[in-house]
Amino acid sequence: MSRYLACARMQFATVLTYRTDYLMTAVLLLAQVYLLRVVWTSVYADRDVANGIDVHTVIAYATLATVQYTLFSPWRFSQIPQRVREGKVAMDLLRPVGFCGQMLAAQVGGTAATAPFLLLALPFALLIGGATAPPTTGAAVAYAVSLALAYAISQLLALLVGMVAFWTVENTGIFMIYRVVAQFLSGALVPLWFMPGPLRAVAQVLPFQATAYTPTATYLGQIHGSGLATALGVQVLWVGLLSALARLVWSRAVHRVVVQGG
Amino acid sequence: MSIIRVEGLVKEFRRPRRHEGPFGGLRTLFSREYTVNRAVDGVSFAVEPGELVGYLGPNGAGKSTTIKMLTGILVPTSGLVEVAGVTPWRDRERNAQQIGVVFGQRSQLWWDLPLRDSLRLIGKLYRVPADMFRRNEERFTELLGLGEFLDTPVRQLSLGQRMRGDLAAAMLYEPSILYLDEPTVGLDVVAKERIREFVAELNADSGTTVILTTHDLDDVERLCRRIILIDRGTVLYDGDVASLKARYAPYRELVVHADRPVEVGGVLAIRYEQGRSWLRFDPAETQVADLIGAVLARYAVTDLSIVEPELEGVIRQIYAAGDRS
Repeated sequence: MSRYLACARMQFATVLTYRTDYLMTAVLLLAQVYLLRVVWTSVYADRDVANGIDVHTVIAYATLATVQYTLFSPWRFSQIPQRVREGKVAMDLLRPVGFCGQMLAAQVGGTAATAPFLLLALPFALLIGGATAPPTTGAAVAYAVSLALAYAISQLLALLVGMVAFWTVENTGIFMIYRVVAQFLSGALVPLWFMPGPLRAVAQVLPFQATAYTPTATYLGQIHGSGLATALGVQVLWVGLLSALARLVWSRAVHRVVVQGG
Repeated sequence: MSIIRVEGLVKEFRRPRRHEGPFGGLRTLFSREYTVNRAVDGVSFAVEPGELVGYLGPNGAGKSTTIKMLTGILVPTSGLVEVAGVTPWRDRERNAQQIGVVFGQRSQLWWDLPLRDSLRLIGKLYRVPADMFRRNEERFTELLGLGEFLDTPVRQLSLGQRMRGDLAAAMLYEPSILYLDEPTVGLDVVAKERIREFVAELNADSGTTVILTTHDLDDVERLCRRIILIDRGTVLYDGDVASLKARYAPYRELVVHADRPVEVGGVLAIRYEQGRSWLRFDPAETQVADLIGAVLARYAVTDLSIVEPELEGVIRQIYAAGDRS
């Protein structure tokens, strides 16, 4: 465990050396929250409720989901592609720590370094956007659990997609597409309850909704009772499935390792 | 008991075959044809504990690929690798604990952080006990002169400083085996010497087994008793440096500074320059004492010396022979 902690601490320190990046991330986050509020306000201009949801709930959802998503899925969500490209992956493979563990630990370290910037941005985001407290204490507790699971899922997804780099050397394009699709299907931009039936059905069988929609809707009390149990169960299932998949992909990737540059 | 055992080691790299002509790029994308390149083709050798072996070969000979398989970075296509009883790629983490690796071309240090932080993290990663860490940090700081740049971010270090930092990092947890892949490439004479001294001392004092790949034959002459020479993925020579010279360059040269060009029956005079004559002889056939006696008897000699063949010439000769075949 102390080894993983060391990996995480190193990434934490590395990330902090690039403070401007994170200030920019915070600024972009605020811009996004503002734009979402403008859009939703105009959508709700001539009605109080759509699909049974009022404007305050939607704006609170958009604010919370955007903050979470920025924290969970930074622009460079995985270090693997860059490390493969530069041949640095050779050094990772020389460590007495498993590769996937190192990468996950580093991602956690990166999140820990980003979090303070977003915490600073949070009051502004709430001011620009909007917020409501969770309706019940139960919802708050469920939210904490769901958020932790959502984080695990998003990090496993980042690891898995990052490992694609062992098969394709040039993959900036793939990652851009992945990010856009994943963000949309996660419900971070548009809540799942506004998606038309077929699209919603697709989103529901994919892991992305478990990274943003589930915790946010739980916070707002939109998921509760037996629905909550199912939602949390689905999240746990995804953590298990994606861990197993990551293990499988890594066992194949290790045979594909080519060290670039001599 | 050998500490490193390599038998019939093969590594093939597959690349998609590139198509030429219109839509070549697109056809490459969907093609299932591959060209196979055998970087390492049936290499076998064994290394005993405490040996300091030079692993030599021209560019693209398969040196680095072999090292990467020994360290567990690459998975061999076939063949056997065993390092201190462990198959490196299968038991990567256990192997990592017992080896130190320095690549001249890349660094294991964290680019954005001070050297001191990198060393501390490596101490954590390799579970170095606190007293051992302190002892080694002190020892390496002194031996490698790290003091002046311990607090500088690695990206601001000169190449020589970075290499010294990398060496300290690789030995911090006292591995029994050290792999050095072109550790002196691009370094100035002073930096090279410092690194050689450090390696020689590690090998002598701590009994660290060292595998060194290099293009700098001064490294080899200074450090290695044994060399393994490879080209095109196969071993050309495996043995001590002296035998290599004896086999490929059995000649010695006698350089005589005399009043006129020197000629002795049965010995080839290869050069005459500014009063000095070079005579090539085979010590197996011609006794040095006899030769010198013959020269002194007939010429007014002011100076005379015997020149051993240089490893560089020997190796150039072997590579050239390989190219012809």
